[in-house]
Amino acid sequence: MEPCMLSISGGAEAVLDLQENSSISVAYHPLYGPHDDLILLELDEKLLNDVIHQRVFLRGHPDENAVFCTQSKTYAVKFVGSSNSVLLIPSSNQVPEDGDSQYGNQKKCDRDVASVIKLAPGHLELVEIAPKLDKIKLLLSENPYKLEDVSAMEMEETETKKIGLYRWHDLVNEVQASEEELKSGLKALSAVEIGGHWRLVDESCIGMILKMLLHNSVLNDWTLSALDEDEVLNVLEADGFPRNIAHHCLSVYGDKVNKGEGRCVWRLNERRVCVHYARDVLRDGRMRIDQFIDEWKKRVPEEMLANFEMLDGEVLKEKLGVETWVRPFKVSSLPSDPSERFSILFKERPKWDWRDLEPYIRDLSVPGLSLEGLLLKFTRRVQASSEAEPVFSAR
Amino acid sequence: MQIQLKCSCGDGSCPEWAIIELQGVVEVQPSFQDQLQNLEIGKLCRPSSQDVYTFTVGYHELTGTKVPLKKPFLVLKKVKLGDTEQSSNNDSADSAKVELEVVGIIRHRILFKTRPKALISRAEPVVKERARASGSIGSN
Repeated sequence: MEPCMLSISGGAEAVLDLQENSSISVAYHPLYGPHDDLILLELDEKLLNDVIHQRVFLRGHPDENAVFCTQSKTYAVKFVGSSNSVLLIPSSNQVPEDGDSQYGNQKKCDRDVASVIKLAPGHLELVEIAPKLDKIKLLLSENPYKLEDVSAMEMEETETKKIGLYRWHDLVNEVQASEEELKSGLKALSAVEIGGHWRLVDESCIGMILKMLLHNSVLNDWTLSALDEDEVLNVLEADGFPRNIAHHCLSVYGDKVNKGEGRCVWRLNERRVCVHYARDVLRDGRMRIDQFIDEWKKRVPEEMLANFEMLDGEVLKEKLGVETWVRPFKVSSLPSDPSERFSILFKERPKWDWRDLEPYIRDLSVPGLSLEGLLLKFTRRVQASSEAEPVFSAR
Repeated sequence: MQIQLKCSCGDGSCPEWAIIELQGVVEVQPSFQDQLQNLEIGKLCRPSSQDVYTFTVGYHELTGTKVPLKKPFLVLKKVKLGDTEQSSNNDSADSAKVELEVVGIIRHRILFKTRPKALISRAEPVVKERARASGSIGSN
């Protein structure tokens, strides 16, 4: 017989390492009870390391379904009930020592006892989902950075209105997404950190800076495909724009070109600049297409060529009698949840050509479901003949 | 709000817990209903070197096996951080004071998925499913 040791009796080890031809008694734990504070979470082996190194979080408000986030992914948390009796036996190290067990010491040494602390009614399960990023936009739209803020900043530390301002820490607490997904969500919205707060820069404000930048490029003979960062920022700063906002303007409308030598060079992105002016032209709503194109071409910088294809996911063409009109319809203003997205799209138009539809759904991402899968799930596809373009309508 | 999963187990050495899973429910004799603590449920026995186990509850025996879980279970403990003296003037923070701590991991369960076999057929008066033993199994 093995020497009797109190530390071994009473634990899961006794069950898991039960030797052949031996037996143990299974009993209710001295502290047996409902123990609602003990929860079972089913976890993929590959996520274990993140847990051990304390890199996972549960996020959500009491009125939201909690999500489980690693550094880079988001998972829905679902409760899966069990109709079996699941007897949960703690490890022996965790059996609380109390007076009773001291008292029963002698007796327990005769034979090991595995103690059941509770019956588990089920466990939690994780399902990878797309992060819920729409909330970022909602929050940051409360108090976007405007032209007034530019002048307010010069007055240094005037108690600018603090409502609707969010620090990184606040966003992490508010948005149900992993930190990496939150970061790319902020980037996709062109948000920028100003004075510790993440802000959206008001379209007319950033447009004004772009206008000044283009204006200066003419005055100073800059090339739009090779803008020297320091030079541009110095000039814009002299024009009264804070350096970090001017820098943000470069990153919204341009791409950094690697050029070594410690100098930073930017190339303005033709599509993004042109889209900005198209939005500007269509600010007041629909226009006849010929009128729109004339006006648009007039506004874009000379070195750039406006091309209607740039406006995928930005405007919709529609026939009114013999005329074709365009009007703004931005994919960036649509919800990222596929079912909500399709419902809005089909409210907008009962039937969509693939050519028109694609720009409005290509950004949708659902883990484990391809775009094809989404179309199957949310649309009805009709093809008049094998050569004809497919047409999609609501399911 | 967010809750960080705390884990003080160190590299992969979370204490291993165990699950004994059986179909139906263990019914306790009415006289023990309020005094479950320390009450014996049954005897777990490993009759051979294989991963076959028997679980004897009262006059019933279950036969099952030790099976690894496809994915491990973490045992989390919800810890309420006391700050009770402030609860009235600090409503919003009140609900946020929860921590989740990893207290164990489960990699195996001993699964009994068969119906219980009656061990004895000795004719005792009024012995039915739930007599004598501290526990017996009623299927659902």
